[in-house]
Amino acid sequence: MTTFGKLTTSALLGLGLLTTSLYADADKGQRLYQKKLKATCGMTGAVFAAKHTQMEWEEAKESGNLAEMMTEACPEGKSFFESDKFKSKFEEHLYDFVHDFASDSGNIPSC
Amino acid sequence: MRKTLLSTAVLSLFAGAVAADDASMQAEIDALMQKVQKLEQQQKRTNKKLSQVNAQSANDNVKFGLDFRNAVDVIDYRNNDADTYATNPSLLTSRLYLTMGAAPTEGLTFQGKLAVYSTWGSHLYVTDPALKDWAASSKASDTVMRIKEAYFVYSDELGGQPVSVSVGRRPSTNGFLANYRENENDPGSPLAHITNMEVNGAMVRLDWSRFMDGAYTKFVYGRAHSGEMQDVYGDVSGARMPYALSGGDVNTTLEDTSVDFFVMPGNAYDDGQYQVMYEWAHIFNTKGMKLDGNIPKAASGSADLFSVGLKVSGIGEEISDFLDETTLFVSGAYTHYDAKNGYTLIGSADGGVRSGSSVWAGIIIPDMLTDSGRLGFEYNHGSKYWTPMNWAEDTAIGSKLAVRGNAYEAYWNFDLFGVKYLPAQIRYTYVQHDYTPNINCAGWVAPVKTDITATDLRLAVTYRY
Repeated sequence: MTTFGKLTTSALLGLGLLTTSLYADADKGQRLYQKKLKATCGMTGAVFAAKHTQMEWEEAKESGNLAEMMTEACPEGKSFFESDKFKSKFEEHLYDFVHDFASDSGNIPSC
Repeated sequence: MRKTLLSTAVLSLFAGAVAADDASMQAEIDALMQKVQKLEQQQKRTNKKLSQVNAQSANDNVKFGLDFRNAVDVIDYRNNDADTYATNPSLLTSRLYLTMGAAPTEGLTFQGKLAVYSTWGSHLYVTDPALKDWAASSKASDTVMRIKEAYFVYSDELGGQPVSVSVGRRPSTNGFLANYRENENDPGSPLAHITNMEVNGAMVRLDWSRFMDGAYTKFVYGRAHSGEMQDVYGDVSGARMPYALSGGDVNTTLEDTSVDFFVMPGNAYDDGQYQVMYEWAHIFNTKGMKLDGNIPKAASGSADLFSVGLKVSGIGEEISDFLDETTLFVSGAYTHYDAKNGYTLIGSADGGVRSGSSVWAGIIIPDMLTDSGRLGFEYNHGSKYWTPMNWAEDTAIGSKLAVRGNAYEAYWNFDLFGVKYLPAQIRYTYVQHDYTPNINCAGWVAPVKTDITATDLRLAVTYRY
């Protein structure tokens, strides 16, 4: 490898490790929905997310009622939304996903 | 008696005062209630207005996104037979995607992608003969902005059957399984193992998910190459008939007819964890060699390409975070070229056939160093006559998926500074060509035994939002 290649590789490796905070991931939320809820809810993730506006999802999240609002949108998923794992592992990612594809988000799912 | 009268008077006064206080309090409560109701109504109106503004600013117009990647590729080729080599210590490139999306009404969407993909210090216009519009925005060249994708999709139901139709320049690059090595979240439409080209076409998609999780089939008819015809203003020396052929026939010597294709990609199953995709592609009038006069690039027959791939997103069911975040895939593919009498395709006999096959396997795991970084490892093997149409694959040394030999690849996808809008990648690709490399359209070339090693180290940083 050339000096240029070595330098740029080293720089990028170093910078890559300078990561900061953990964040929620809308893509992960989409995958989670597909894996754990799509069949149960009987609708695509895009339809599920579009049940509410971004502000409605935000308000539900802030007031701690996200699980209830999601249960309203998909009653069949009640046990999932009320599970401990939902709160500890999935809520953040699913919230990011539904917020990204809310009815007034302007985001368009790919074909 | 006097005491009794006094007590009664005091009580009356007290009761009056209490009654007066109650009335006043009630009046205040009523006023407050009115205010609250007014505020609630205002809040409702504000929310409604905000949603309308949201819809107007986002839904009813084109929404833009940016994907701006800068990369350096360190490239090396070794022809071990001839003991020659070629290198480029720093191929510097910038790639800008201006993505567009619109959904004016339910069931109708538009998606577009304008692209500039240039080498730093490039010529103003790159006109390499082999560079066609099927790879125009996928191979670094000049700074001209081109249309990479532009299509609309209309979705409805016909007798309970969900149907989508679409026309335009398709999302036909970096398809199923190739998105990992491209550090992209969503794959394009087809299976990248056999087709990775920028093409225009018309598509009908039938959804079968009511029978099988995630199942659908797409039927795509399109054109990859416009054959011989008069120029934009026709034949200036004779009759001026733009975009047509004199007498309606192609040149009988060159036989440069249009190359159309019919592609049928689909999902056989997808439950979010296990996904099986398939694709059959039929290419009409594919380019080969006309034996009478050894004329290359002549319409020489047809090609059929097949692929089936399995992707597993997450191993097991919540065994560990590491396994949940691990992705495995394997794909098999087969190509079959059938020459017409008087023609040859990739070295076949007169009117003969040539078949090839390939396997592709990969694993993507958490890097255990960063919050969302992933390490990927891939392996490819292709036989002597393996000839997929992957000429838009964004690998500086040419398609590694099309290798007639073996290819090994490792990459690290991570977010620079931990910022998810700055995805970055370090990727190393090692390709061992045992037969003539298949890196562009060359159906008239017969593969021969070679020993060429090509390597590419790519370092890339993207701004994506």
